[in-house]
Amino acid sequence: MSAETEEQSSGFTRHGSDDYVANFSSSERQVLINLVEQIVELLGERIDNYDDDPLAAMIGITSFDSPPDDEVLMRLLPNAYAEQVDASEFRRYTESTLRARKSANAMSMRIDLKSSSDGYVEVDHDGANAWLGGMNDIRLALGVRLNVQANSHEDLEILAPDDPLRGVYAVYSWLGWLQESLIQALMDDAL
Amino acid sequence: MVRVDEKTKEIVEEKIDEAIKEIFSSDKPWVTIVWDDPVNLMTYVTYVLMELFSFTREKAHGLMMQVHTQGKAVVSTGSREEMEHDVARLHEYGLWATLQRGDQAL
Repeated sequence: MSAETEEQSSGFTRHGSDDYVANFSSSERQVLINLVEQIVELLGERIDNYDDDPLAAMIGITSFDSPPDDEVLMRLLPNAYAEQVDASEFRRYTESTLRARKSANAMSMRIDLKSSSDGYVEVDHDGANAWLGGMNDIRLALGVRLNVQANSHEDLEILAPDDPLRGVYAVYSWLGWLQESLIQALMDDAL
Repeated sequence: MVRVDEKTKEIVEEKIDEAIKEIFSSDKPWVTIVWDDPVNLMTYVTYVLMELFSFTREKAHGLMMQVHTQGKAVVSTGSREEMEHDVARLHEYGLWATLQRGDQAL
């Protein structure tokens, strides 16, 4: 876990009893839209061939039960059991639902961003949770690319200016800060 | 009336005890475990535990600290079906969670 925060713009603040607002600059808005669209695309990649079993397709049971090959997808859709037989069985029945829920979070962010021309975003409690989950999925994906398991934040802070990961780390840090601002706003009433 | 001597009575009671133990041990509660992860913010883990399990802030914070310092924590206990539901919800929020039998080594 990381306790890190980085000061940039104002982030999310509470508005009224249970609404949350943020003002994004046009570049922040564009970065978020790009990231969200990448996550939606990633989560939609594993298309099953339902020709053989339309009933399975209807109730969301998939024929694949092996974990995803992609490291990022493996982190977004982890095994529920340490034991492989149970993990495969659980995945067969639940992975498509988990993908759909994660996509729905990302799509909810996309709609909020796209429908706002000036970068003003206002969400209710459920909308805030969709943003938290969606931002977290993006950070998990970027975290795999940055290999945060092995690299400390200190290592990542001193990346060379021409290192392509430097920009990834800047976005990762900014998202962490943005997520933190929304968590603080949500937990205000729990103080 | 059949008279049962003390020795036989003792043996029968022992057998019954064993049978009861076996029934219950085959139905030991399952547990949901949250594992430490370098990406998830500490406050986020606390918030998700409060949101999903209606824990108080103190309880959620304590469990988060256990995950952070010990690498893992049991966040819920119950039937296998209930734990599968909890794990699915935690995965939805991006927490790293698994379920297992409660009597298995953590």
